[in-house]
Amino acid sequence: MSHTTVTYKGSVEQRIDMRWLSKVITLSLDSEQILKETIAIGNQQTTIGELFNISGDNTSSDYVLENATQKMDYIGHALTQSNTLTVMGDCGFYTGAQLLGGRIKIEGNTHDFSGCGMSKGLIEVSGNCGNHTGSAFTGGKKGMSGGTILVHGNSGNFTGELMRRGLIMIVGDIGDHCANRMIAGTITNLGATGKHVGAGMKRGTLLFPHKPENISPGFHDCGRHSLGYLTLLLHEIRRFKSAFQSLHPMRRRVQRYIGDTTVEGQGELLVWIG
Amino acid sequence: MIINGVVIDDTFSEAFSMRATRIIITAINYKWARHAAETMTGFATSVIGCKVEAGIERVIGNHETPDGRPGISVLLFCTDKKTLEQQLQARVGQCVLTCPTTAVFAGMDGDDRIALGKNLRYFGDGHQISKMIGNQRFWRIPVMDGEFLCQETTGFQRAIGGGNLLVLARHISQALLACEAAIDAISSLPNIILPFPGGGVRSGSKVGSKYKELSASTNHPFCPTLRGEPDNKLDRNIEAVMEIVIDGLTREDISLAMSRGIEAICDLGKSQGIETITGGNFGGKLGPHHFHLREIMDESYNRYL
Repeated sequence: MSHTTVTYKGSVEQRIDMRWLSKVITLSLDSEQILKETIAIGNQQTTIGELFNISGDNTSSDYVLENATQKMDYIGHALTQSNTLTVMGDCGFYTGAQLLGGRIKIEGNTHDFSGCGMSKGLIEVSGNCGNHTGSAFTGGKKGMSGGTILVHGNSGNFTGELMRRGLIMIVGDIGDHCANRMIAGTITNLGATGKHVGAGMKRGTLLFPHKPENISPGFHDCGRHSLGYLTLLLHEIRRFKSAFQSLHPMRRRVQRYIGDTTVEGQGELLVWIG
Repeated sequence: MIINGVVIDDTFSEAFSMRATRIIITAINYKWARHAAETMTGFATSVIGCKVEAGIERVIGNHETPDGRPGISVLLFCTDKKTLEQQLQARVGQCVLTCPTTAVFAGMDGDDRIALGKNLRYFGDGHQISKMIGNQRFWRIPVMDGEFLCQETTGFQRAIGGGNLLVLARHISQALLACEAAIDAISSLPNIILPFPGGGVRSGSKVGSKYKELSASTNHPFCPTLRGEPDNKLDRNIEAVMEIVIDGLTREDISLAMSRGIEAICDLGKSQGIETITGGNFGGKLGPHHFHLREIMDESYNRYL
């Protein structure tokens, strides 16, 4: 399959704002023209051509970013429906922030605020994510409002903070303060979950294999139930190639807790039984 | 055209345009899915008096339903979108929501949508939960056996109602036998319902009436007790006429159903007292869809060749 390859030459110490790459991808700009454009690195100006090489089919909607590092912020920012971006290496802050569609696949780890404010599309991370995955921008009132984040490793603290809609799937562990002030949406994992899950949660679903420790006293046990909707959710989850495919779609027996009642929330924490 | 001694009249049966939707009802087992489906398709024989024509389309296996449980698909036909939406919500609300262990899902895709669980959710009194799965919204409404799960909308499409066959026989038992054979053959087809009791109609109607208030009245040219009247169309040896009414999603669905029905009747043949198969032809007053019986049978034979 034809694609455009963007290769980082690995030549600066400062952070790099990668929003220029999204502009290139969404507008299908000419590579010669792009390489001449200037970019701020610290208090210096340089050209994109000084830092990156671009090769391959410029008309393709598929892009590969090679030699990515944790100094690159806003990789895949606000990409749209038809775009695919594969990142070889680690990513910095705000990876896939405000994503509007398409797919970002990261063969590495991401720093904090991955997928924050995204509304559609898929972010798939082969490694780990930092804090605030799928959350709001600092000071923002709404986190991700749609789309899917799939992390094959672990995610940090404040995963899904202020999340409004969408699906976050973490194969490994989730840090503390997961679903903090969550508005709606679904977060699930297969590993452990940290402290203070769902504090201030209004609505939404948390689906975990084990009951987290130190859940807010605002959560109340509603007993064991077989929920038919879990089959639909599992069918959706199993569409993605991941360890979640080991979950049988007819598995729907859960212990249900609702909360956080301290804020009159009606969110639910579901813990698999059996 | 004569098949196995049965005359296929050189006429057409007339049908009219409708709007149709399909829903899938699932439950813990077929027993409860069928209870819900049969209840919601009750009193839905004709748009003349019931506003809707509805019926069970088929039984659906666990592997085909969205929630992996036994299911039944139901088709509903109305003359317009608004009525279809009203009837669907009323019937799902009173007959499916109330039935133990059921869930209801859209049975049609497409951009033309009508509300399914969109308004039923208010029964949850604020405890209902919305879940977006893929690009579809579902509602989870707490009820006393757990949760009632329903999809927010379902698709609808243009369809055809009132395709029909009239079976003319020497005796009522022979007319019924022929009808039952045809109904068995047609019922196995997708996209089709036979909305009348058991699939047969003994009170076939014509368009209009001598009474201004009535839009339809008894099809007196086919009533055997009026055989002596000048405009009666029955021969002296015909003692019973039975009608099979077919609603289908497309013209092809109804044509196929009619041909299967005619074949099943003709398999019994004249020796079983079946004299003629004809259609309800009202000279174009009923609707724009005309199904010519002989053309349908010619097409049917061509399919086999």
